[in-house]
Amino acid sequence: MDLEGFEAAAVPHMNALYDAAIRLAGDQATAQDLTQETFLRALRSFGTFEPGTNCRAWLLRIQYNLFCTQYRRGRRMPLVWLDDGEADPTLELPSHEPGPEEQTVRELDREAVRRAIARLPEDFRMAVILVDINGLSCAEAATVMDVPRGTILSRLHRARRRLEAMLLPELGRVQADDL
Amino acid sequence: MTCEDFRVRLTAFSLGELEQTELLAAREHVAACSHCASQLLLDRQLTALLRASTVPLPLQTREAVRGALRAERLRAEAEAEQSLRKGPGRPAASSRRPTRRRHWIALAAAMLACAAVVAASLLVVPAPDPGSPLAAAWGSYHAKGQDGLGTPDDATAERLFAVLGPAARTPDLAGFGLQKQGWEARDLAGHLAAVAEYRDDAGGRVTLMRWRGELPRVAKAPDGSGLKAYRWGRHVSYWWRADSIVWCLIGTIDQDQLYKIAGHLGGES
Repeated sequence: MDLEGFEAAAVPHMNALYDAAIRLAGDQATAQDLTQETFLRALRSFGTFEPGTNCRAWLLRIQYNLFCTQYRRGRRMPLVWLDDGEADPTLELPSHEPGPEEQTVRELDREAVRRAIARLPEDFRMAVILVDINGLSCAEAATVMDVPRGTILSRLHRARRRLEAMLLPELGRVQADDL
Repeated sequence: MTCEDFRVRLTAFSLGELEQTELLAAREHVAACSHCASQLLLDRQLTALLRASTVPLPLQTREAVRGALRAERLRAEAEAEQSLRKGPGRPAASSRRPTRRRHWIALAAAMLACAAVVAASLLVVPAPDPGSPLAAAWGSYHAKGQDGLGTPDDATAERLFAVLGPAARTPDLAGFGLQKQGWEARDLAGHLAAVAEYRDDAGGRVTLMRWRGELPRVAKAPDGSGLKAYRWGRHVSYWWRADSIVWCLIGTIDQDQLYKIAGHLGGES
């Protein structure tokens, strides 16, 4: 078992996997479960990962399959609801340090964006998670979701138009240096 | 290209997913049309918002995942070592976990096959390896004696749920005449275990322990299936494994009653 290779290639994507998990599962405890199980499965099948390909896409595919087969059907019993807890200090932070007011506005914006994404149908949401949040190409996202590339493009287009309608106030506050 | 043509291609254009001829036409159009240029800007603002909306990874999740990976490596190493000891002719045990259905069938088969044996006497097995979770489970069961357990603090409970998932829940055994006395986290030879204590009206004691790991190899059910039984003096225990979690039920209550509880929990786990 090449744990060191796995540590180097896969573990840096844990933030992204948890982010996708919580958007899919909807609560922190299930997201943690899903993330943990994804990494265990990935470790066991790390021999099938092709070096040089997109490791995050490979992990997201494992996670999405796991979600579809084991979590989506509500097979998991509801767990205790946990507080957000302390955020990981190793997370990447914005390059500049906004003042408290700007930080508050931005956090409110982030929360509004998360809520809006959560309101999307699951297929649309997953396309947004893969391409817009995780930067996968449409072809990679198509592999993860096992659908044609055109389907991903169509889902993304419709998802973005819905999100635009839901997030007009927040869109007005996006600054030029964010683009 | 018309505004409508551009509108339906907006996402593909901003992702760079258009074919060359369409890409050139779209570029020309957006350079000349202020309305479509503002739509493109809105689309870019939206994707900037989406990128910035990531949910922070909680520390406890990071620790739980890293802990699970370490445990998996230890498990794989132990399995490889065992496989070496067995020699090249025998394949290593599969790490593929049983499905819930397969587990239930195995347990049901074990219950039928074991019934006669269990009713007469439990398996005679060698003493567990010192340092194994089995030995630690027995040791902690006896060390705790009749002391009741409390309730773990929030952080410990959270960690138990992170490691064990739904198996960390304390099952309700009131239907078997057992009342919950408390639960706690316990370290069993390096395995984090959820431990629940029950009592019946006659003072009988039942302890349920669960941890992530392999089923100890000290005993085998007569039909080779997952349910294992063990006896230490008047204390009887049943063991099984489901979804990578080892379940251990130890008690002083009637042997058949404990066996029924094992079947009940095995069907749920």
